This record gives sequence, structure tokens and C-alpha cells, in this order.
Amino acid sequence: MTVSTDYTAQEIIVVAGAKILEDNKIVFVGTGLPMVASLLAILTHAPGLIPVFEAGAVGPPLKRGLPISVGDSKTFTGASYVKGLNGAFELTQRGFADFGFIGGAEVDMYGNLNSTMMGDFPESYSKPKVRLPGSGGASDMAASCDRTILIVPHDKKKFNEKLSYVTSPGHLDGTPGARQKAGMQGKGPYRVITTRGIFDFEEKTKRMRILHTFPGETVESIQANTGFELLVAPDVTQFAPPTTEEVRLIREVVDPNGAFVKRVAK
Amino acid sequence: METNAKMFWTGLSPDEAREALVNKDKSKKDKRMTLKEAVSRFVKPGDNVGIGGFVDIRQPVAICHEMIRQGFKDLTLSFQSAGMAPELLGGAMLVRPDHCSIKRIELAYWAHEAFGLSPTWRYLAERGMIEFEDWSNYNMSARFKAGAMGLPFIPTRSPLGGDIKNTSRTKIIDCPFTGRPIALLPASNPNVGLIHVQAADMYGNCIIRGTDATCAEIAMASAHTIVTCEQLVSHELITSNPKDVMIPFPAVDAVVHVPFGAYPGACRRHYYFNGDAIRGFLALIAPMVKGGSADALKAWYDENIFGVESFEDYIEKFPTKKLLADQLAENYNCERLA
Repeated sequence: MTVSTDYTAQEIIVVAGAKILEDNKIVFVGTGLPMVASLLAILTHAPGLIPVFEAGAVGPPLKRGLPISVGDSKTFTGASYVKGLNGAFELTQRGFADFGFIGGAEVDMYGNLNSTMMGDFPESYSKPKVRLPGSGGASDMAASCDRTILIVPHDKKKFNEKLSYVTSPGHLDGTPGARQKAGMQGKGPYRVITTRGIFDFEEKTKRMRILHTFPGETVESIQANTGFELLVAPDVTQFAPPTTEEVRLIREVVDPNGAFVKRVAK
Repeated sequence: METNAKMFWTGLSPDEAREALVNKDKSKKDKRMTLKEAVSRFVKPGDNVGIGGFVDIRQPVAICHEMIRQGFKDLTLSFQSAGMAPELLGGAMLVRPDHCSIKRIELAYWAHEAFGLSPTWRYLAERGMIEFEDWSNYNMSARFKAGAMGLPFIPTRSPLGGDIKNTSRTKIIDCPFTGRPIALLPASNPNVGLIHVQAADMYGNCIIRGTDATCAEIAMASAHTIVTCEQLVSHELITSNPKDVMIPFPAVDAVVHVPFGAYPGACRRHYYFNGDAIRGFLALIAPMVKGGSADALKAWYDENIFGVESFEDYIEKFPTKKLLADQLAENYNCERLA
């Protein structure tokens, strides 16, 4: 396999996302990079992967191009099963979703995410400094998908000790069995993919841990760009750069119009 | 039991919702009327309004235009994820607060996915101009479902953990059967539901294509429902496969034939998004978040809503080529013989 020399930051995220997904599983996908990652996985190692969209489409072949909304007409053409939001979330709550991709404006060391507001909480909830769109389906996926994969651009301002608001609960305060005690289902955050590397959550403490560094990054450079102390896996490795074939598939087959994966060279 | 915000009903209470249906004329009568008549008869000051569709798909855009023309007062808007409907209603409040006002919003998400954030949401929230209550997509959908089922609440697995339970009327109880914590959400029974569908007959039977969103639940939970449709068809055609009927006629009070009724959003089998129009509208409001002038937005409302008689007049302002292109794009999305 030839290594790509001109892959972009988004392309390595997509490749990482694809590799984490397993064949023949159901993945609850949002618009954007998660969708590109799921399609790349289908074209490479996971032809039996089944995408589910929260507006109600289950298992569409996505032959009419990339959807620009999770309720896009393109997600319904050729789908195996079609309902609405209650249908999609009931499937998830029941345990049909093995993986879910979620994101947010802020993440903490336990994989809790914020997509609601910035500012003091609870004082300024009703008049926040910055109002974000809100949960959408993220908090439902966080509560009920079996394992969640978080995608967050890596920036010191986004990786914080304390969040303004916990929209999508991850491992909560990290205490053993915290999710179970709160009544939640699923194993919670499984991996975090950022612009700098891939992270998991250490089994005992449920704290975010560096697993792989992306090319050009080190444990130190990643820690320097993180607002809390990261754990480091005993065998941190460098994540292999995307191959020319993976990059070709993204550019020519999955997202030929550059709808989500921008064409700026790294 | 963990007590959160004090319980109160922001639409109809479950008893009031039941009473409203008991007293309603449920006969199979011709409910066709103009948008003007539908809005003036069924949208009242102080109403809780359930908004159908999902983000910029099948939003009741034409109904919102008419509501803005007529003016509205102290509304509560209830929806899961919405884009153009609250953007238009909220934008009207920015330019004509004397004529259009929203008191409260119960929501999961207000933005436009790939087309951008909502500047109106930021403007109203960051200035403390409205009350709001955050939920999730499933929470709002389940709340409408509880309303549609005639129940006062519904148990769900979210919000548990996190802050949504702390800023909403969620109650967490220990499940009486498993002993584990479970969330209880209050039903949502709007005074009026606003729904745009692909096809309806004159009685209000509706067929929906693509995402069902939460439209059937909203229609069944609301005391009244206004339906706009792309295609007005015969009763015989709509019931040729009765299981296709997503919303049954007794739940509907007004049927209005409005082609392009969700435009510039998308409507499966009819037209794809006009992303330029959505982005263009947002661009008029975005500078106002940072204190910019409202002149451009005012001019937009004057030209496209206050300055015209009907939604058809607004649609007429788009170049025919663009309307055809958006129809063609949708034909490609779901290729079929006519």
C-alpha cells in the first residue's frame, strides 16, 4: 500500500473513523464526516455495515450521492425500512445501534459533550454568552447507542476540564458504573477522533487516553493542546497515514463533489 | 423522586387536550380553505404551536409566511429539529416586534445543518428575549407521541445524566418494575399543529414521503391541525392503499393546496433544497447578532411577505429556471416514472 503524501486533516479523520467501525454492525450516523467515514468503511473492510439516520432511514445504499441532511431524500431512496424520528430512536433505545457518531463544541476527559451553550451554568442558561443549536439527536445517541465515537477538532479551548453544559453524557464523572447508576444504557464513549490523534477511555478511571498519534504529532504536542491531563496508553503508536487508495476512494467515489471533505492540501 | 423545574403545562394539559377533541367536529367534511382563512381561524394569541418537518425538510414555510402577514402574539413554538420555520417566525419578531412575538420555545435543535447556524436563535437567546426549554430529538418526538397517545407523560432513556434533565421539566424516578432510574417527560399537546405533506384529500387524510419526521404525532396530539399539501388528490386515490395514510382526517381542520409550501427547504419527490436561498436569508440576520442593522432583513420581509398577498406571489419571485432545477435535483434523488 502506497502512503498518501497529500492527504488532508479531514481525510485522516475519515480514515480513522472508517477503521474503527466493524463489519455487519449498525451505525447511527450524522451528516458530514461520520457519513463519509461509514461509506469508506463499506467500500473497504465493512461491506455489511448498516447506516441508520435519525430522521428514519435504515440501511440506504446512498447511491444518489452524499446526503446533506440526516433527513435528506437521498437517505430514503433504496432504504430497507423507513419511519420517522420516533422510529429511529426507538430502534436505538431498544439496542439496535452498535455504534453512534457524535460531536460537540466542547468535550471533557470523560467524553461528556456540550452542544447547547457557552457561559456560566446554571446562572446564564436563559441568557447564555453563546447559544449553540442544541442537542438534536446527540444526547439520545449518547444515552442509547452501545458504543459512541466522538469526533471533535482538537483545540485547547474545546478540550476542557469543565463543560459549560453537558448535552450528551459520556462517562459522567468517571466513577465505576456511573452510566448504569444514572439509568443509562450502552457502554458510552469508545473512541475520540480529533485532528491530532485517536483516544480511548482507560478502563478503571474512564479518563481519556492517547492511543494513537497522527503523523506530525507527539504525546507532548497533543497534551499541550488539551485543557486537561490526558492519560497515555502503555503502547502509544503512530496512526498510519491514509493510503493513496483510501484517499482516492474518498475523493473520487465517496465525496466527489467535496461536500464535506475539503480539498485543501495538508 | 427527584424534583426538577416545577410542573406546568405550556400547551394544553392532558385533560384539556382530551376535552378539545371530545368537543371537536370530527365529521368527514370538506376542509379545503385558503391559507388566510386557515391561519386566522386556527392560530390564536398565546397558542402553543407544534411545527412539523425536520430541520429544512417539509417545514410549514407557507403557513409561517401567512402567520407573519397576519401577525401573531406570545406564541410557544414546539418542535424537535427545525430550520426555516422558526427562522422566519423569529426573524419577523426582530423586525416587527409589535406585530409578531414568540414567548417561548421548546426544542431539540434550531439550525440548518450544512447551511449553517441560526442567527435568529443566537439573537433571541443571547439577549434573553424568549423563554426556552432544551430537549433532544427523541425527547420532543416522544413528548408529541405521549400527547398523541392520550397520556400525560412518557418514560424514556434520555435525558439521564447530563444537564438537559436539570433545565427541563423532566422527572427522574426509580422504575417501579426494574428499580433503575428512568426519565419521565411531560406530554406535548399543542393548540395547533402546522404540517406540510406531499399529498392530502379534501377531508385531511395525508400521505407523507421520505421522513415521517414527527408529523403524525404532532397532528394527533394537537387540538387543531393545519395541513398544506403539494398535491390535493381525490379521496379514492389517497385511500387506495389505506395504510399509506399517515394522518387521518379527524385530526385535521384545514387543508390548503400550496405547491412549494416548504420551499426553499426540501420536500421529497417534489423539490430539493434551495441552499442559496436559505444561506442568503441567514446572511441578512447574521450581522445583527453582533449589533448590525436590521434594515436588510426589514427590506426582505417587506418585499417577500408584507408586500405580497400570498405565498404564490413569493414563489413567483424565484426564477423559473431555479425552481425547475430544484425539481430536477429531487427527481434525481428518487428516480421514478411519472
